[in-house]
Amino acid sequence: MKKRLLLLSAAALLMACEPAGSDKTEAKPDKDAAVENAFPSTYAPLASEPTVITNAQLIDGTGNEITTGSLYIQDGRIVAVGAGEAPEGFPSEAETIDAQGRFVTPGIIDIHSHLGNYASPGVNAHSDGNEVTSPITSEVDAEHGVWPQDPGFDEALQGGITTLHILPGSANLFGGKGVTLRNIASRTVQGMKFPDAPETLKMACGENPKRVYGDKGGPGSRMGNVAGYRKNWIRAAEYRDKRNEAAEKGGDKEKDFTRDLQLETLADVLDGEILVQMHCYRADEMVQILDIAKEFDYKVTTFHHAVEAYKIGDILAENGTCAAMWADWYAFKMESYDGIRENVPFVHAAGACAMIHSDDDNNIQRLNQEVAKTWADGNRAGLNIPKAEAWKWLSTNPAKALGILDETGTLEVGKRADVVLWSADPFSTYARPETVMIDGATVFDRASGLKPKSDFRLGQGEAPASMTQETSNAGDEL
Amino acid sequence: MSKRFQILLTAASAALLSTQAFAQDLFIQDATVVTAVGQQADTDIVIRGGQIAQIGSDLAAPEGMDVLDGAGQWVTPGLFSSFSTLGLVDVAAESSTNDMSASEADTSVSERAVDSFNPRTAHIANTRRRGVTHAVVSPSPSGDSIFAGIGLITTTTGNFESVVNDSAFVHVALGETGSSRAGGSRSAALAQLRAAFDDAQGYPSRYRSPTDGDALSRQDAAALAPAVRGEVPMIIAASRASDLLGIIRLKEEYPALDIIVLGATEGWQVADELAAANIKVILDPVQDLPSKFEDLGARYENVLLLDEAGVDYAISNLTSFRVTKPTALGQHAGNAVGNGLSWDKAFTAITSTPAGWFDLPISDVATGPITNLVVWDGDPLEATSAPLKVWIDGKEQSLESRQSLLRDRYNPLNESDMPHKYR
Repeated sequence: MKKRLLLLSAAALLMACEPAGSDKTEAKPDKDAAVENAFPSTYAPLASEPTVITNAQLIDGTGNEITTGSLYIQDGRIVAVGAGEAPEGFPSEAETIDAQGRFVTPGIIDIHSHLGNYASPGVNAHSDGNEVTSPITSEVDAEHGVWPQDPGFDEALQGGITTLHILPGSANLFGGKGVTLRNIASRTVQGMKFPDAPETLKMACGENPKRVYGDKGGPGSRMGNVAGYRKNWIRAAEYRDKRNEAAEKGGDKEKDFTRDLQLETLADVLDGEILVQMHCYRADEMVQILDIAKEFDYKVTTFHHAVEAYKIGDILAENGTCAAMWADWYAFKMESYDGIRENVPFVHAAGACAMIHSDDDNNIQRLNQEVAKTWADGNRAGLNIPKAEAWKWLSTNPAKALGILDETGTLEVGKRADVVLWSADPFSTYARPETVMIDGATVFDRASGLKPKSDFRLGQGEAPASMTQETSNAGDEL
Repeated sequence: MSKRFQILLTAASAALLSTQAFAQDLFIQDATVVTAVGQQADTDIVIRGGQIAQIGSDLAAPEGMDVLDGAGQWVTPGLFSSFSTLGLVDVAAESSTNDMSASEADTSVSERAVDSFNPRTAHIANTRRRGVTHAVVSPSPSGDSIFAGIGLITTTTGNFESVVNDSAFVHVALGETGSSRAGGSRSAALAQLRAAFDDAQGYPSRYRSPTDGDALSRQDAAALAPAVRGEVPMIIAASRASDLLGIIRLKEEYPALDIIVLGATEGWQVADELAAANIKVILDPVQDLPSKFEDLGARYENVLLLDEAGVDYAISNLTSFRVTKPTALGQHAGNAVGNGLSWDKAFTAITSTPAGWFDLPISDVATGPITNLVVWDGDPLEATSAPLKVWIDGKEQSLESRQSLLRDRYNPLNESDMPHKYR
């Protein structure tokens, strides 16, 4: 009962805090509710108590660093932040965490992860990320390949990841829909789905599609890749027009119009309802993709991997397209050969929206260090980017690129209380998340040992409990 | 002055020093120096004529000598990458540039990394500028053999004379990789290994024709013989605790073996046994996922528990894309510190410990001729730190690389209005 009340008040708060002009307050085009939510989110925040974190060094994700600040959390939301006093109505008996000068930041958001769809252990049966049956598979959804028991989720949480975006792989030109998840313990994917997060479409440039399909009917070259995108955007535009016509006709639409899952996804992109997240390494190729987006009037929200984004930071800025990048991965394939360590800060300095991403079940645990590395190298090259500004690469810009910045990504009043309390400066290799909160509920705590444990981790991978030891202990007690 | 050379650099000192004509004389002031007795703060060093002339506190800057000043600098020996594929591959996915393994070859142990090694690959300069002065270079197992071949040790000068030991070890894979190479089971892998050992021990007498061995051809048996005699180490990749115990049994059967286990994610479960059998371990302290069934017990405490048991270990980076990742060696060691290992132990595990295994002493910072030395702009185990200067074998090295040139060409502070190809 209590939990339900908390949830209701959280929802009320959310509505009260919705910024004017937010996409979410706009009426959506006339669409069947069933069409929109075939697998609706059942995520519910864990119960939490009103909490205040005092005496904290706050990096808030908006570019501010507050050396001695407080963060007030109620009903899973941030109700006040900064040096000021408790807001009116905040219970005086609220739980207080004295941060003792330690760092408090927003939860980290990884925009490019395959946790769950390339789960640990990496056995053949766990390869669920690429539908390698056709270069056009916009009808598939990453969420249907996600195994919520991937132990990687738990280790990522230990690294401060509170939200992550799971994508199909990059074998196909149109790989399928991605899914944005809360990094919360759940038996189901639906229980992890970020409520009302925009849908996304994974697309891929370059070497992978032409390599995978070169001897399976194509594409077999970058030329074929581009032709493949364009042919299918033409199909999608036709489908969208038919769908609009059917909607105008009203009652007869079921008769006149048959849903096509593949084209539906692409038409939704053209309608601006699905965000394009595109795997693309080379600078010249990214700029060609931007031209295709202009030709068919859609937007590329983010280029992923974007190893050569530093060569076209100005063009990305002009187009309002983000780049999600590694700190130092390069040369594993030809299109990654020109990787430099300053990619993220150079894109940032050019005025574009830059961010870190992992694409890796191990590095996802230390994205703060990956940002620290690239930030330091950028400043070494003459840039002068403050830490609090570089933090945006970890939570703010990924939230923006996933369309969830209204809800998370910064420590601002009204947002979900996704918070990490660090043992030290998170730009230090030695720092560790000590406490991680999702919607104000503590979901990881190093000191107390609170940590989710996948079913897969139970009863294996540990030294067997010693029967004789237990027996003798029991004997001692008797 | 042409606009195109006006790159504004606030970190001007670093750039200036790296482009000077490798001035040998230098006064380093107020640095943290890592010597044989550990970290020494607020220490000054005089470098003159390729020698460390003086180490002490509150030294006076010699007249006219360049001064590298500013608290926060560290002076250490160069880092030693205990496992890499440097120089064997340019672009991993392009087989024409990738000599890491030869799945179609009839040879196995006798494949020598040195015959593929290219010190001029761009990755070596890219690695050198991150403070790695030495690297183990290993081939990888492929085809139907558990043996990868013979590895080497190189400096990262990029010179054609950079290989310091062209027959440094034999690399063999057990565990899941060995199983798949040998035909499908661990039993087959161990059978192949034992038969190969016997071939090597029986070489040359059991070979009347080149194919007389049970598991190895004559040339491969000859190549394996020094490792079976314990004259060079054998790096054995294995992770599962039961596989590690199998290696310990192997050592009992062949006591001369000098074994270095690569991986050992479940090493903590048999730490005492590994220590007692004098088996060394190369591990990655960030491996905490059950990535395979042989890694079910992976946990970050592995390095702490092995250390506690007295196992001789080196820290490396064994996670994906390791071609380009010797650069992150300090960061991986730093993560062990973040999880509770002492700084000195973590640093030793990326310098003197593995160097000693291959009879390559990386000397501590001390007065006398410089062997290998790195001046960092911060703690070398912090991901944010980078070298300001690097010496290898007494010579100051360039910190320019393909990556630094791309960086300078595309630096947003580069105000040239010429096309990038002219910058």
